[in-house]
Amino acid sequence: MDVKVFQFNGCNKCFNESILLKGDSDYKVEFVSDPKNWKEQKADVSVITGYLLPDDKEILNKIKVNSTKMIAYGDCTTTGGVFALSNQRGHEVTPLQGIVDGVINVHGCLGEIEELQSEIKGEELPKLKNLCTVCGRRKTCDYLEQVKRQIELDDEETCFNDLGYLCNGFIAKECKERCIDYDTPCRGCKPTIERSGVRMLGMFGTLMGNIEVATEHSEKGATDKLADRDDDITESLPDVLGNFFRFTLPTSGLPKGRLTSSGSLLEDVFMGRLIEELPLISGLLGGDHSITLTLKIIETYEQANNIDVSETTKQYRKNLLNLESELTEAIENKDPKKYKEVTDNIRKIAGNMNLSNLYYGGFKTQINDKDNFEQYKTHVFDVVEGTYKNGSVEFTIDSTGIVKEIKIKEG
Amino acid sequence: MTEIECEVIEPEVLEKMENIVVFMCNECGQGSANTAGVARMAYNPAIRIVRVQCTGQVGPIQIMDAIDNGADAVACIGCCIGACHFFNGNILSMHRIKLLKKVFKELGYSDQFVNQYTARAGEGETAVGDFEDLVERLATAIREEGTVKDGC
Repeated sequence: MDVKVFQFNGCNKCFNESILLKGDSDYKVEFVSDPKNWKEQKADVSVITGYLLPDDKEILNKIKVNSTKMIAYGDCTTTGGVFALSNQRGHEVTPLQGIVDGVINVHGCLGEIEELQSEIKGEELPKLKNLCTVCGRRKTCDYLEQVKRQIELDDEETCFNDLGYLCNGFIAKECKERCIDYDTPCRGCKPTIERSGVRMLGMFGTLMGNIEVATEHSEKGATDKLADRDDDITESLPDVLGNFFRFTLPTSGLPKGRLTSSGSLLEDVFMGRLIEELPLISGLLGGDHSITLTLKIIETYEQANNIDVSETTKQYRKNLLNLESELTEAIENKDPKKYKEVTDNIRKIAGNMNLSNLYYGGFKTQINDKDNFEQYKTHVFDVVEGTYKNGSVEFTIDSTGIVKEIKIKEG
Repeated sequence: MTEIECEVIEPEVLEKMENIVVFMCNECGQGSANTAGVARMAYNPAIRIVRVQCTGQVGPIQIMDAIDNGADAVACIGCCIGACHFFNGNILSMHRIKLLKKVFKELGYSDQFVNQYTARAGEGETAVGDFEDLVERLATAIREEGTVKDGC
């Protein structure tokens, strides 16, 4: 069987992960990193990775004509993914199902290679449960008194949502990356239902029942109405799109965003996001360089605000950077064994390939049982307004922690 | 027929608000509309009433369904604060609509396309007043920032 993997725009995390297909002897894999110059050839299965723009329509149709089965691999191609947050500023990141018909979706950021393998072979997939049913935390579904933005946890038994941290686990399927194991609430990269973000919005709005909503007197109706001014509800969730619709903006049925674009699609993804969510977002879209980019953002903020970092943290971060260069090497050589080994080592430190364990001031969960976790445990930090600059990354945040401007050079 | 003073809305704006879906709760909201009907009060013909048991059962998904299927704006009219005939459905609905308003703002639209009002069953003018306020706010929003359909 002939399998062709195409990488379109953006981060190539899923494309790199597909190196693991080479370990399977049932089929022949070919990688096409530049589909624009691809010479048309017949294939049994075409796997599409990377985010798609309307310009790619022509080449996608060509691929469709030449292949018996077409698989969208990873959230960027299935639901829009994290890059689609730039649609808020007028870009048109489109999922594959919006461009060609008859597509098989393999969701996830990072998409799961086992699922992709089964889809290629046409095997039946195991039925996945809802994330909440496999989560160790238990929900009480009491109304919240307060929404908290930064994670500070001693409680390992209560549901994130009931503790006040927004978690999209209600609408997500169980997954391999399992951010929830690293004290990082789920953001719903494997949705169980369509328009998951809108549904989660309803769910969390209901949970916020005890938080006061602003009302005002309506002159004409002579009764109360919902006020337009900002209140505790809007102030406790400064970035609704980035948190509820992180992976599903184009497929959520919302109108197209029309805020002014900064010009670059990558920078538009970061604009309007929150400072405490930045490491996770950069971990998602950095591709080969996600570790460098994430650490760069974290360190820039730490240095400017004098957040102490222990020697152990520095050592672990250095290890991660070394692993990243090993990973680049493995990718260049298309060596599945080496790739597996290096990613396993990254997962040991960073939790998963989305780097959920990395945070300002240290790590969220203990990496090695022998370590003294207190030495590198993260803590709640103050949001300080200002411009932060460190080499290739420059960003400005306002007093609520929203990114107002960002410049990323290369990578 | 009761004459109600109304701001004059230009025909080109009126054209852009032909379908305003209003979810009214079976108790105060619809009660108030019934009272208004008995008193033969007039209101904007663009208003399309959908009767629901409680505004608490209307969530973002139903509102977005209405907008995706051609509604120019959506509003909920429930019982007065503290007077929900169930427990707190009207307040929960307000929380969700507030979040949905924020979504529209974050996408660069006016937040007036979704709204929530309250009414009193015994007073038809509360529901009619709410409709008027709704139409007026929507007209201002359309004049200034265009309709939600411009972006679809």
